[in-house]
Amino acid sequence: MSRHRLVKNLDLDNELDDFEGGKDYDDTEEEISEADKEHLRAGTLEVKEMLGDAANQVSEKEIQDSLWHYYYDIEKTVNYLLGVAERRNKVEQKKKKTGCLSGSETALSFAKFSGDSTLFNIPVERQSILVAPMTPTERPQSGPLEEKPKMSKLQVLAASRKKKAQEQKAGSMELISKDVKGLTINGKEDAVRKQIPERQDVSMEPNTAKQPARGFPFRKRKDSNPHEKSPKAPSPRPKKPEAQEDMPMEVPVVMKAEPSAFANTMFSSTACLTDTASLFTMLYVAKPTNTADPFSGPSPDDIVIAAQSKASSNKGGKGPPKTNGEKKADQIANGIEAMKLDNTPRATSKNLEVLKEYEKAEKKNEANFVVIGHVDAGKSTMMGRLLYDLDVVDQRTIDRYRKDAEKMGKSSFALAWVLDQGTEERSRGVTIDIAMNKFATSKTKFIILDAPGHKDFVPNMIAGAAQADFAVLVIDASTGSFESGLQGQTKEHALLVRSMGVQRIIVAVNKLDTINWSQDRFDEISQQTSAFLLSANFQKKNITFIPCSGLQGDNIVRKSTEAVFTSWYTGPTLVEELDNSEPVLRALEKPLRMTIADIFRGGVQNPLSVSGRLDAGSLQTGDALLAQPSGEKCYIKSIDLDEQPVPWAVAGQHITLHLADIDPIHLKIGDVLSSPASPIKNAESFTAKILAFGFLMPMKVDVHRGRVHVPGRVKRLVGTLDKTTGDLVKGKKPRVVKPGMVARVVVDLDAQVPLESGMRVVLRDEGETVGSGVVE
Amino acid sequence: MSDRRRVNGPSGGTHTPIFSKYLAKDVKELNRPTRVRAPNVLRKMFLKTGVTPSASGSAYLEMEPPRTRNAIGPGLASLSTSGLKLTCTVHGPRPLPKNAPFSPHIILTTHVKYAPFATRKRRGYIRDSSERDLGVHLETALRGVIIGDRWPKSGVEVIITILEGEEDQWWGDDRGRGSISAGEWGMMSVLSGCITVASAAIADAGIDCVDVISGGVSAVVRGSEISDRLSPGMLVLDPVPSEHEEIVSACIVAYLPGRDEITDIWVKGDIGYGSQSSEDNPSYEELTDNAVQAALGSHRVLVGALKETAALKLAR
Repeated sequence: MSRHRLVKNLDLDNELDDFEGGKDYDDTEEEISEADKEHLRAGTLEVKEMLGDAANQVSEKEIQDSLWHYYYDIEKTVNYLLGVAERRNKVEQKKKKTGCLSGSETALSFAKFSGDSTLFNIPVERQSILVAPMTPTERPQSGPLEEKPKMSKLQVLAASRKKKAQEQKAGSMELISKDVKGLTINGKEDAVRKQIPERQDVSMEPNTAKQPARGFPFRKRKDSNPHEKSPKAPSPRPKKPEAQEDMPMEVPVVMKAEPSAFANTMFSSTACLTDTASLFTMLYVAKPTNTADPFSGPSPDDIVIAAQSKASSNKGGKGPPKTNGEKKADQIANGIEAMKLDNTPRATSKNLEVLKEYEKAEKKNEANFVVIGHVDAGKSTMMGRLLYDLDVVDQRTIDRYRKDAEKMGKSSFALAWVLDQGTEERSRGVTIDIAMNKFATSKTKFIILDAPGHKDFVPNMIAGAAQADFAVLVIDASTGSFESGLQGQTKEHALLVRSMGVQRIIVAVNKLDTINWSQDRFDEISQQTSAFLLSANFQKKNITFIPCSGLQGDNIVRKSTEAVFTSWYTGPTLVEELDNSEPVLRALEKPLRMTIADIFRGGVQNPLSVSGRLDAGSLQTGDALLAQPSGEKCYIKSIDLDEQPVPWAVAGQHITLHLADIDPIHLKIGDVLSSPASPIKNAESFTAKILAFGFLMPMKVDVHRGRVHVPGRVKRLVGTLDKTTGDLVKGKKPRVVKPGMVARVVVDLDAQVPLESGMRVVLRDEGETVGSGVVE
Repeated sequence: MSDRRRVNGPSGGTHTPIFSKYLAKDVKELNRPTRVRAPNVLRKMFLKTGVTPSASGSAYLEMEPPRTRNAIGPGLASLSTSGLKLTCTVHGPRPLPKNAPFSPHIILTTHVKYAPFATRKRRGYIRDSSERDLGVHLETALRGVIIGDRWPKSGVEVIITILEGEEDQWWGDDRGRGSISAGEWGMMSVLSGCITVASAAIADAGIDCVDVISGGVSAVVRGSEISDRLSPGMLVLDPVPSEHEEIVSACIVAYLPGRDEITDIWVKGDIGYGSQSSEDNPSYEELTDNAVQAALGSHRVLVGALKETAALKLAR
């Protein structure tokens, strides 16, 4: 409690200064000078001695007051005080008789509230504060009767001395302990009044208490003595000072507490923490002191990511040197990219040397071949027979196909259904899209690309031929069919595969069973076909003829048992001939190119998968790829080869890539995946060396490149070329390129297509192939 | 197969064990805390705003722990009573989620949660009814002070964590009574603190208010000085339930001094049954008025703390 008071005393000077001016608050004590106090003290002691027993009847305060009044005349004071004591005795006896306002019981309970003062023993200085002396007439009512005349006299005296004492005011603040106590309450009251200034005026007026409650100030006053009175019963007047004695009750003093240890730890500055850190020497640390903020610099991860993105951007660096601003933007972009990559953990590259791995791992040759030929030559059936005889397809499946085919009235198509899986293909009995299947012999792994023979589906055949290493040309040996085929798709297909870069061709003369295994017919066909193929720039050593029967399976996998046939043919079967094909040279060292043959959802784990043949180069898990023409970057999550995950793949393999970090909308069939280091360029115009199949002039064409075909037009015929030397024929520019001629043409495309020199393109117009050639 | 079974703790809260050697003694010998403050004196209060940097506004309030007269007795940390400690964070005003219906005024949500360790009886992690009750009272108190029309289509969240709560009674009185609740008197001072600290946090968040609101509690308590007959009731401000033998009634108000308004009032216990209020039977009005006085007291600290923060902010 004393502490509270002390704190309150700190601003006491100010408070009192403010109030000194107010007439209502002139307290006599405040004007007493230091010297006067000494006098008073000495005088009081003397008077007390002289009074003797009667000293109990009068308070020290009264002694001092009277001393002041008589100006330190001790004799007069003693006389006066004796008189006072006598009078007081009488009054008290009278009171006891009448029993008016004993107050002793109430005082008991009040002791709890105001320990130091009881009823009627309230120090005068406390009372005086609580009475609002708005008008001088109010004042006498507040104090005990005896004090009234003295007070006024003192006031008069004080008023006369007021101006004199102005200078000494500061000094007079150090009052005797009793006075300090009184002043403390003064101070408190001041604080209250300052807080809510208007309240004082209202509440201090006793009369206003009867007014209706208007605001909290009034209510506050009302409840000041909650234990003594109820609002309904008007309080008796003598109790009023008592109530005011409980003044502190009205405005509970809440001091702001010091923060607890807990709060200190929570909210104090961290200065002390750093101190403790420096107290301990850190073991195993070169620098004993920690850096202030461990997160100020980039984290080790950030450094690595930054380095990686920098390296990759350097590799793929192209175009003019960037300006400062561009660099900055690039850095930001890189940073964002790096952050994005961080979010989805991608497969990390094992940094294998794929080519070495390939050499080590190489066990079997791999070959892709496309099966071509006129419609109904028996391509699909022959391949179905081949697969069936090699046990790639089991007996049960074939039996089922047979049954279903019989139901549809096409029992001879059962074997073709091995490859023709689509319902439309089966009902129509023709292959529509490229069908892929694989089989392996002891030496080589083969991938069959079964091309459609129908002329409506030549674009699909081109797509298949683009992926092939060599071709199997199936020719229907039955009467009339061969001839129509040679005019039809046998010719077109042969020319197309040649212009697509296929050099080796195996001619399977099919359906020999229908012509009773006639050797004459076989020779005739061989002669005519051979002549045509030679004219189409196939080399003689690369052309092989195999007589066979796809439906019966003679000379496909097994040797024929037909006596007629075996009498004149002792050569290899089709499979043996396939096996003889030399391993083709792959473009392993070239930059990565892969044309997307199919895009699909490879399951929950792999939302985006693409399949296709790796045209050139090699790749491995974790490699970055650039998809053209969209120009989007993506990453290889994993590679599947023959439905088995593999760590790497090389050119020539048919693979499935599971990609990450790319949206499917950026990919479509026919797009080319390349390495970001040496990306394939998008072209809107190209120059090509074209072998004309039909009449070629500046006209609209469909440009086919593998799977993709875009509309375009022949813009310019640069000139015709010599077929053998490849030199430009001198002379004036040709207006038209006749069939069989080779010309250099400039073709404009309507859309951007990834193209580079060496790529094979086919130009078609209105369903007819007009030419094919190589981009220069 | 690995064993997946868990040994779960008891579903309800548990008491810290009190060992029988303490119980064997006379209760009076034990260090029963008594109120050393005068009936009209509030506990000292520490209030600080801006304690949670991530929140728009925050405040921390603690009441000084009650002082015991004689510090003998079991020196168990679990038995020592400490003061009220509250943190409040205010998030907002922020836009309401898209799917929320249109609201022409700010949507106020209040969450009051006892930390599991806040009281001697451990609290669960899920808000129980008393916490929801406090939240509703707090919302009522704050709704009257925030000028909600200034933020249509927005919401504000007031989240109070009670780090140290108020006990409902002295632990020594707890024995034998089992789980019968002692009337949850502690909730009253907790709510008062919640109102004050939330007011400070809202002011810290810069949300427009008509005034700063503060909470105050008063109670009629009964001591046990006279063992034969019922001791007289006594009106005290800011009661600490563990310091009193019995609390007859208590009142908490949320008070706006500037407008002389009460936005929330909650009175519990036996009050105002006599037609004439007497010394040991104060009237309902007296109880309320005293609660207002207590609120005025905490208002002063609140204003002081806000001024301190304002000075800090302006000096920056």
